[in-house]
Amino acid sequence: MENAKNKSFVGKLTESRNFGLVLGLIVLLLVAAVITPSMYSLNSIISMLQNNAVYGLLAIGEMMVIITAGIDISIGATLSLVGVVCCRLMAENPGVPGVVWVLLALVLGALCGAFNGLIVGYFKMVPMIATLGTMYIFRGFSFLFSGGQWWFPHQFTEGYQAFATLRIFGVVPSILVILVVVFILAALFLGYTSRGRRIYAIGTNKESAQIAGIKEEKVTFLAMTLCGMLAGLSGMLYTANYATCSYGIGEGYEMTAIAICILGGVSITGGKGKVDGVIIGFLMMAVITYFISLLPGLSVWSDAIQGAIIIAAVALNKFTERSAEKRALKERSALI
Amino acid sequence: MSENKNTAPARDLTVKQGFKLSKFLVSWEMVLVYILLLINLVLMATRTNLYFSGGTVQSIIQSGMDVCPLVLGMILILMLGDIDVSVAATMIFASMATGLCCQAGMPAIVGVLAGLVAGGLCGAFNGFFVAYVGMPAVIVTIATSMLFRGIVKIVLDVNVLKVFPSFYVTIAWSNIAGIPLALILFLVMSAGFIFLLQKSKFGRQLYIIGNNATCAQYSGIDVKKTKLIVFILMGVMCGVASIFFVGRMGGSVSSTMGTGYEMTAIAICVLGGVSTNGGKGKVYGSVIATLIMAFLTYTLGLLEVDANSRKIVTGFILIIAVLIPNVNRQLIANLKLKFIYKGNKNVEALNIKTAEEVKALRAAIAELQKDSTVSDADKSAKIKKNEEKIVSLQKKCKEQTAAWLEEQREDERKAKERFAAK
Repeated sequence: MENAKNKSFVGKLTESRNFGLVLGLIVLLLVAAVITPSMYSLNSIISMLQNNAVYGLLAIGEMMVIITAGIDISIGATLSLVGVVCCRLMAENPGVPGVVWVLLALVLGALCGAFNGLIVGYFKMVPMIATLGTMYIFRGFSFLFSGGQWWFPHQFTEGYQAFATLRIFGVVPSILVILVVVFILAALFLGYTSRGRRIYAIGTNKESAQIAGIKEEKVTFLAMTLCGMLAGLSGMLYTANYATCSYGIGEGYEMTAIAICILGGVSITGGKGKVDGVIIGFLMMAVITYFISLLPGLSVWSDAIQGAIIIAAVALNKFTERSAEKRALKERSALI
Repeated sequence: MSENKNTAPARDLTVKQGFKLSKFLVSWEMVLVYILLLINLVLMATRTNLYFSGGTVQSIIQSGMDVCPLVLGMILILMLGDIDVSVAATMIFASMATGLCCQAGMPAIVGVLAGLVAGGLCGAFNGFFVAYVGMPAVIVTIATSMLFRGIVKIVLDVNVLKVFPSFYVTIAWSNIAGIPLALILFLVMSAGFIFLLQKSKFGRQLYIIGNNATCAQYSGIDVKKTKLIVFILMGVMCGVASIFFVGRMGGSVSSTMGTGYEMTAIAICVLGGVSTNGGKGKVYGSVIATLIMAFLTYTLGLLEVDANSRKIVTGFILIIAVLIPNVNRQLIANLKLKFIYKGNKNVEALNIKTAEEVKALRAAIAELQKDSTVSDADKSAKIKKNEEKIVSLQKKCKEQTAAWLEEQREDERKAKERFAAK
């Protein structure tokens, strides 16, 4: 402990994981500046963030589940289901104010998440298999409710779209404001409330957390419900942002959300991960996807590149963890 | 399937107790057979003409066979407690390797070998990261599924490969003596896997690793190497699956085909009784489950349920199949403890003890009534005595329970007061 205290500010900075991430981000931005200078205009940066904001919301929810040492791969399907339900009802009742649909999206998403939480937390199913099943179910219901129909911009009311595209101060789209608010709330919840800390406790060591009086079922249920809630919100915002909707939206988004979490240093074995890391991971993913899309003829490469990045990030995580353990061992043996 | 339900929540640790017909009939595999028969009956009743016309059953079976090699490989992966969601991408990757070789004019055998080797290499890639780097299998295979499919997209772009050995289509679509060729091959392969899992040293090692990897390590099993081998085997099975799959698709392949096959394979394995925690499951359960899935998909299709609603059914089946083994005596006892005995273990123990004593007394009464050596007056007196005992026992139990619960409530109230005072 004393050693850690004595370290200089720079030493601490270079040791933290986020430092490497930020460094990577800066390098990426520099490369982008040379190859595609068109990326650096206020409009393109804002549209980049606006179109990727949904991934940020999903990643925050996914992070909470991953911290409990679980995983939720049904969030893409939840996004689709909630988006379809909101769009259909909105198109049929154009007079209703937009805020109703946000509330509906939150409630519906929370219900989907609660179903996941019920079977994972209380019936002790393996999270991967349980959410695999609910992914099928939600996606199927999404199709049933949509009836194979598409919704187009002329059917969207202004109050609905405003939640994503309204420019606050004429510059920042409201979806980004919502994203920032969610980031702050999540950071406060995970860092400073007892419920948030319990999520970390369960992920770090289930048995000792239970002995300390934390109810594992309740915490898992809470994390998955929150995750579903954010997925529902992002479903509504996704449709509002693009002003189109069909049952096929959100396919494979869960993978991107997981990728962002892992890039941001959330440990897949649970117990580790912070909101600031996820924010950096989100920015990195946004820049990478936008950068690739600007390069001519590289769009077919995006899948392969994303996959390679995830593997590299997790491998890097593993190696830094191992070296940290070794260093801790050395420090301890030095004390003896 | 699991005899020792009282103590073992997850796995069955009892010594084999010989063959019992009553247990065999309610085992999970037999339940699967009943489900299969039920689906067949429904199909027979609703579409009688179609069912008995030639070739329907064969084509149903053929429609489900393209996923079968994936299922067999997946059993081994799940046995380790890992998971592989990159199988569909690997399958397409292997098909691409075969297709490119055949397009270049090489002989068929080279193409097939290229497919198998490509699959094996993909599996080795997964296995290296899972076993030797120590990354979680879910993440690795999610990433590699993007990577492999991404590579196929880069190589093929929007082109379709159409040159494949001619026997591919034969395997997927032809019958021998009324039995689909694919089914015969599937059964032969499953026999091989049953031998591998039940009779070989390697297979028994998998069970040990799945139950407790640390324990396996200390008993001298090279866990990392075994994991790598299993993942390579899975990759080769993906190569085999590419034969069935390409044949099923009529000998063509593009980069977007076969999405969702990994989920179907996992669903079938889970339905077949393979535990996702590892260390439990048998091959023949999954063989029956493969047939169930084929018949179910076909039946729902015939009943005019569209593809997306079938997804809902698949999802529910997956969840229910996993939940059923969880609903055992242990769970019921836990629920009873929670809701009837309010979490008080003393009350639970007392109630169980009393119930047992009452049961013994009742049995004694029944025996007395059958007994002909004792005189009637004696008999009735004894029975009366026993009945009185039962009543007093139950009364005692009730009073004690009430007292303990009252005590508990009092404690809780006091604790709350203390907490509030702080």
